[in-house]
Amino acid sequence: MTRKLSLFLMLLVLGSGPASAAEVRIFAAASLTDALGEICALYGREHPDVKFVRNFAGSGTLAKQILAGAPADLFISAHPKWMETLGGEGRMAPESAGVLAENTLVFVGPPATTATSLEDLPKLERIALGSPNSVPAGEYARQALTAAGLYDALLEKGRLVFAQDVRQALIYADRGEVDGAFVYRTDARLARRARVLFEVPPSLHDPVAYPLGLTVEGAKNPAATAFRDYLKSNAAKEVLRTYGFETD
Amino acid sequence: MMMTLTPQDIDAIWLSARVAVTATLFALPFGFAVAYLLVYSRLPGKLFFDGLVNLPLVLPPVVVGYLLLLALGEQGWLGSLLKPLGIRIIFTWKAAVLASMVVGFPLMVRAIRLGMEEIDGRLIQASRTLGAHWYDTLFTVILPLSGRGILAGATLMFARSLGEFGATIIVAGNIPGVTQTIPLAIYDYTNTPGGDRLALGLCLVSILLALAVLMGNEGLLRRFGSRRRP
Repeated sequence: MTRKLSLFLMLLVLGSGPASAAEVRIFAAASLTDALGEICALYGREHPDVKFVRNFAGSGTLAKQILAGAPADLFISAHPKWMETLGGEGRMAPESAGVLAENTLVFVGPPATTATSLEDLPKLERIALGSPNSVPAGEYARQALTAAGLYDALLEKGRLVFAQDVRQALIYADRGEVDGAFVYRTDARLARRARVLFEVPPSLHDPVAYPLGLTVEGAKNPAATAFRDYLKSNAAKEVLRTYGFETD
Repeated sequence: MMMTLTPQDIDAIWLSARVAVTATLFALPFGFAVAYLLVYSRLPGKLFFDGLVNLPLVLPPVVVGYLLLLALGEQGWLGSLLKPLGIRIIFTWKAAVLASMVVGFPLMVRAIRLGMEEIDGRLIQASRTLGAHWYDTLFTVILPLSGRGILAGATLMFARSLGEFGATIIVAGNIPGVTQTIPLAIYDYTNTPGGDRLALGLCLVSILLALAVLMGNEGLLRRFGSRRRP
């Protein structure tokens, strides 16, 4: 009995299994969770030997993890800034840059909320947005609120609830825990109760673009370069469009 | 390395202190009552009760936070009861207090209980034979003699509250100036490329605070001890 148990414990500690021959480690913005999941599933049907390791979070969080040495092949950011951060640190393969898709920033709220523009937001009690320091959707929202002259006052009054990624902001609004949240149009589609109240004027913030790139490590991984090419294919773009992303 | 604290950090430090003090003060009477029940009562199912009280000690704080959120949220059974009264708990600093109270409670009960178990049983018997009611014994014998335990329990709980993260971030959210305590502010920085210096500044504050609490506790306990046992 004890021997069996110790054997089991040993296996548990040591047995991480043999490394898969073809593994693609993707670090992607949280807003891509569902679309990328479907693309990976599609790709996996044609390439059953490829194993995906996916890590979804706020793009800044991911950039920080990669900087700290997290193993990643492919990075898809919801803001060019984090791609540039990694590029500046020499983590990205130089020739690999490109834009996967584009998106739109909207404001969603539970049925009880009535707001039709940014100017109505000071009337709300709690507004969720991704933490602007690490979540692109939050950074775009801060940009727009600052341009409208509202950000500092809202922050000072403690009205802004910072979420760790855009999906958390969406869930806050969907469960009615906040009066509204800044999310992407693609996220808003997933809400059960919350609905889009208005589109944030795109002139108030940088365009929402998803640059993708291979890391220095990823550029040496044939499975990763192949999947990067697949992401630019029409089949992948089709999936992105069904989720509401804009592609060229 | 230069240590930098932004105004937001100062807010976080004050908020942490406020949350920890409030949670500790509110939990004290309950902690004392529960410890008393566990030591002196002959409740049926005491073992189960004991387990229940200690549960938050071993449960992932995320579980505690999530259950609190479900109960206190807009559609939760408690939340919907409180809503007509105009009381809103989640995403306010009250939620941070509540999360700290639940997570720190077992530590407090443990320490008070240890203190009570050290009390000489003959003192309690003597008070009873002299005609004291249970409440007389409680307030004139047990309460003063478990002072050390209460102090130790309050300190532990205070320190635990200063560090509460998992339950707090779920039920109170991360609102600068309202619910962003020190650990939440540090978490925010650790997610930010280039945030290391700011994170380290707050880490240092955390370490200094924790050390101060522990040393203060030790000093107080000694004074207490020397007065009781000359």
